[in-house]
Amino acid sequence: MKFHLSFRSSEKMIAVITFAVVLSLPFILSFNPYYLSIFVSALILGSTSLAWNLLAGGCGQVSFGHAAFFGIGAYASALLVMKAGWNPFLAMLVAAILGVLGALIIGIPAFRLRGPYFALSILGFAEVMKLLTSNLTRLTEGSKGIFNIPSLPPIRLGGISLEFYLSRTTNYYFAAALMFGIYLIIYLLRHSNTGLAMSTVRGDEETAAGIGVPVFRTKVIALTVSAFCTALMGAFYAHYVHFLSPDSAFDGYWSVMPIVGSLFGGIGTLIGPSIGALVITGLDEFIFKRFFETGHKLFFGLLLAVVIVWAPVGLLGKWMRKK
Amino acid sequence: MISTTTIIQSILSGLLEGVNYALYCLGLAFVFGIMRIINMAHGEFLVLGGYIAYWLLIKWGLNPLLSLPLAAAFAAGASFLSYRVFLQRIRTTAELNTLILTFGIGIFLSNLYLQLWSADLRNIGVHWMENPLQFGGIYISLGEIATFAVSFAGVLVLHFFLRRSKMGKAIRITAIDRDAAALAGIDVERIDLLAFSIGGLLAGLGGPLLGALSFVSPGTGIAITIKAFILTVLAGVGSIPGLIVAGMILGVGEAMTVTFITSSYRELFGFVLFLVILLVRPSGLFGKRI
Repeated sequence: MKFHLSFRSSEKMIAVITFAVVLSLPFILSFNPYYLSIFVSALILGSTSLAWNLLAGGCGQVSFGHAAFFGIGAYASALLVMKAGWNPFLAMLVAAILGVLGALIIGIPAFRLRGPYFALSILGFAEVMKLLTSNLTRLTEGSKGIFNIPSLPPIRLGGISLEFYLSRTTNYYFAAALMFGIYLIIYLLRHSNTGLAMSTVRGDEETAAGIGVPVFRTKVIALTVSAFCTALMGAFYAHYVHFLSPDSAFDGYWSVMPIVGSLFGGIGTLIGPSIGALVITGLDEFIFKRFFETGHKLFFGLLLAVVIVWAPVGLLGKWMRKK
Repeated sequence: MISTTTIIQSILSGLLEGVNYALYCLGLAFVFGIMRIINMAHGEFLVLGGYIAYWLLIKWGLNPLLSLPLAAAFAAGASFLSYRVFLQRIRTTAELNTLILTFGIGIFLSNLYLQLWSADLRNIGVHWMENPLQFGGIYISLGEIATFAVSFAGVLVLHFFLRRSKMGKAIRITAIDRDAAALAGIDVERIDLLAFSIGGLLAGLGGPLLGALSFVSPGTGIAITIKAFILTVLAGVGSIPGLIVAGMILGVGEAMTVTFITSSYRELFGFVLFLVILLVRPSGLFGKRI
């Protein structure tokens, strides 16, 4: 697909509006715990979509296996807290770094080749990570899963204490803050020299190599940052839902949905993927699941196919082009 | 202590299974070799063939080997439609698009199966296939032999179709040089449609065999796609007979993993092998030929 990432002010405005909507959403709709839990999962997905799109929109590389990083982050953080007694915030950070390690393990062999090798290698990697988690029972409890993962400890701001254990609202705003942080990281990276190199690689790898862009290194950097952000969200997820199993943490959902969100929102924009993910979660929760209770994910497949063929720039991309 | 008989037994089963692996991945390898498109919905086409055979067995008691033509026809039809409705329109755009598109088709199909036929694992076994033949303490089931024969024949037929038939030659020449083929009067658009449909047909053949030997389920597809890609890379892109050797290596390796380590790590062997191939010999065992 051909698209131009335009750092026009209109996109920055949309980003501001998006975060304003996110901040005010509970006030507009509801503080009802059921709705809040949907909003939190939407934000987790929104952040992972931003991270996924750093690779695709930024660097032209498709990953079919971001669940690997999500699961690594989730399990690492849960185990560091429960088996080693770490502070959950520190554990989240270290879990994200372990996600980077995973990215290096798969990225270094797979990025040596061009074409679809990376996309499929990482799909296999996610399956293998799930397999290992299911079988290393001494460490991970295997397919039984890990129960009672502790919440994040309360944050004290002056006299106010923000409780994670009792309050979904705190979790919601913390997830929103994480999404904003990830957006900032990606914004800064895409506006740096490395970001420029990434755009060249996306345009044409051979030309990029010809003008002296270190193609391999650029891809690896994009992957590691993307993996860091995804694993961070995985770690947050672990402390938010308090339960992990290989099937939940390495679920294909975490690989597929960021793709759907990014494509739907606009792969050539920075903020689009998160908007796409938020909208898709809403559609799924309130519409798709009413149609087909078991097979509701078939809509995502259909959506991917339709968007890529008839609207490859996505919703936001389309809207921005008209302006 | 593991006896010699056990080792020979598992090597033999691995070799037989390996040829089936070659058939399971034939469609993906063929489409990638000819069109440079990785069909992420490959496994789902295969599973479709498996479900067709399952229904024929349940409704009319039809032997899975007899349902092969119908299974192949349905998968070829699904493949044909996918190409005509979607893929054709973005054939010439970035590679990323065809990957995501076929991935989307795969998600659509696997969830459609889930909705229509539930998540149950469907076995298509018939009784006589489980009867064993015995050679000095080593057992092979008739089913293993029958599927081996079908798979081997499938690979050979495709190989000779590409080498000898006029249409096969047209497909190969289009893969080598699209523009020259078009100048020579070959309708390259039709060749693309044909090649993709053949890919689906080949996938559909694998379904009944997989269902007869183990099972099919909505989740089987993606695992098959991964395995098919691993084998394609191991064999070397474009090498059809190489798939049999690659399949046998994978089959024996997996059987050895089960015998010496544990069956839970069976799938791990293929992935480790894949990483080693990427690092050591990315062109595969028999690469760089079409």
